[in-house]
Amino acid sequence: MSAFTRRSFVRSSGLAVLALAAKDLRAASWRVGAEGRARDIPWKVQQVLKRLFGDRTVHEGHVQLDVPTVAADGRVVPVLIESDLPMAPEPDSYVKEIHVLVDNNPDIHLAEFRLTPAIGQAFVSTRIKMRMTSPVRAIVETSTGELWGGAAEVRVTVNGCG
Amino acid sequence: MRRRLELGAARILVPNAIRQGDVIAVRALVEHPMYTGLFRNVDGTPIPAHFIHDVSVTYGDQEVARFTWTSGISRDPFVEFSLRADREAPLRMTWRDNKGGVFEQATDIKFVSP
Repeated sequence: MSAFTRRSFVRSSGLAVLALAAKDLRAASWRVGAEGRARDIPWKVQQVLKRLFGDRTVHEGHVQLDVPTVAADGRVVPVLIESDLPMAPEPDSYVKEIHVLVDNNPDIHLAEFRLTPAIGQAFVSTRIKMRMTSPVRAIVETSTGELWGGAAEVRVTVNGCG
Repeated sequence: MRRRLELGAARILVPNAIRQGDVIAVRALVEHPMYTGLFRNVDGTPIPAHFIHDVSVTYGDQEVARFTWTSGISRDPFVEFSLRADREAPLRMTWRDNKGGVFEQATDIKFVSP
């Protein structure tokens, strides 16, 4: 067994710092079955993400998700999703789908909005039911297969799902 | 108490003054109970799931959007989306529920004369 030298200490601490940095880089995306941010996503949600998108990574950004911080009634929670990604009539890439996921609902994949460039703007607003306090996630899929997501926590005081 | 639900009564709202090329906001509402299947009646019998799962938006003869919903959408589902008004054509929406109900509503996209 080699002695604990200054050189080995420097080498191992350098590796540790590199590993931490790599983890931080990954923090900005949701990737199923990977380390980093994926640990913050409940297993049941990871399963849904895997079913919807396979092994593709969901990057954070390009999605504005407008939900109330506190919803008095879980039966009616307004949700507004907007994306600054292009929606031009002659597109290389446009927003093809908008998915809404609620972590603690009986049905996690709550809604799916399939859009075409004729829509003009990646925007959708609706009202959803929520069982309990939980993050609401919006995931935008472009026609080139890129995935962008945003999440926000909504505190729910009255169960809206039964 | 809630007023009685008129199943499938639908409204589509578009702005009054539309000019060609505008991206307008379309708001649509259909009256529907959107039962999840998890609630029970006062006497304890479960209320079977009854919800809209498919919405299609047609502008002229082109389908511009299609939504897939679950019972997680609130009762009397409301949806707002945008639309690029590039021609005068009817905007038609069709809601379909899991019991075979089909509800339709249409409105005309008309441009104001300049």
